Amino acid sequence: MLADAAKAQEVFHATLREAAQLAANGEAPRDRLWFFRNARWRCLEAGEQGLQAEDVDLQQHELADSAPSQIDKLQPQELAIWISGAPDPQRTALALFYLDEFNYRDLLSVTELKPPELSKLLCDGRRQFQAWLDATFPAAQT
Amino acid sequence: MSAVQLSRKEKMLMHCAPIREERVDERSLRMALHRARKTEVFAIQQNFDKAATALVQAIPIPQEITDWIPTDTFIAPTRRRWQKYAQNPAFLATGIAVLVITIIAIFQLVDRMNRFPGEPTARRLLTTASSTHAMMLDPVKTDAGALGDFLFMKHRLVHYDVPPEFAELKTLGCRVFDDEEGQRVAQVWVVEKKMQFFIFPAERDPKTGKAREFFGWRSIEQERWVGVVKEDKGVCFMATLRGSPKDLAPYVSKKKE
Repeated sequence: MLADAAKAQEVFHATLREAAQLAANGEAPRDRLWFFRNARWRCLEAGEQGLQAEDVDLQQHELADSAPSQIDKLQPQELAIWISGAPDPQRTALALFYLDEFNYRDLLSVTELKPPELSKLLCDGRRQFQAWLDATFPAAQT
Repeated sequence: MSAVQLSRKEKMLMHCAPIREERVDERSLRMALHRARKTEVFAIQQNFDKAATALVQAIPIPQEITDWIPTDTFIAPTRRRWQKYAQNPAFLATGIAVLVITIIAIFQLVDRMNRFPGEPTARRLLTTASSTHAMMLDPVKTDAGALGDFLFMKHRLVHYDVPPEFAELKTLGCRVFDDEEGQRVAQVWVVEKKMQFFIFPAERDPKTGKAREFFGWRSIEQERWVGVVKEDKGVCFMATLRGSPKDLAPYVSKKKE
């Protein structure tokens, strides 16, 4: 979400602190996804303070057979930067989807999206990422 | 492979397909993915997602964070509520089957509780009542309570008495006949509500020959004819009329000695 480990850690601590305070007041969050919801909003807040991504229509390419080998060439940080540069709610959708910890319903719940919205954001995200991969690693290189 | 045409909804669900199979825990999603697996597009998407996830998994999580929350306990498992179980077709089918079996069992139990010795004979006599006309009986105009002596004197039928609940009713006619089992049956036609009485021997135990007793009034119903039966001293008395059980209820509910 932030592509910045230090900021992510700050968000984690702030979320944990709030959970501890609520628990101490006997108001422990009942929602099992509370931690993720809270962390998401903190990430979005933190993201607003830094540089903002320009609102441009990114190119989209059809997913290619060669995509896995293109992705293999990336560093994890590069993918994190790419996702954190996406506008929200696409950023949230992609970050949580590729975290691979949620089922479909949980994903809809945390992202606060409707099924067609989530579907479109993921589909567009993949294609845009494929276009970026194609630009970064042209066919001759793969 | 890509000959399968996915509907709009299936395509929408396919784009949200979780990377790990165990995350597919919804029926509509499972069905959509079952069809999507036959397409090449989905295979490419899955390979793409797996590669991206592998990259995400490679992002190191600081030790401090994993100490607080172990990586395998990020999300608490969903508590399945009973409504969720109830919507499962297997549970639903089992529930309906159990309900039907219970209802049948209750009916059987109620039916068994209503059974009494001599019920088959009483049912046969209900059929007789429905096909009898007043003119088929010998005219006897008296109080029903006096019939016991009449039946004893004329036909040698012992204990063929009308219970006190019906003793005051006026009779129109009477006859005595042998039923298909050779038992002597007295049939009485009463003025009130075109009611008919049947007095017949109680069912006997084939081993001991003793009459099978039962206590109180028992009711039976057959083809819009109702009857109330009582056993006393080895003889059954049945009052019957065409109608509903509530037509006879006032008679049997009053206590008379």
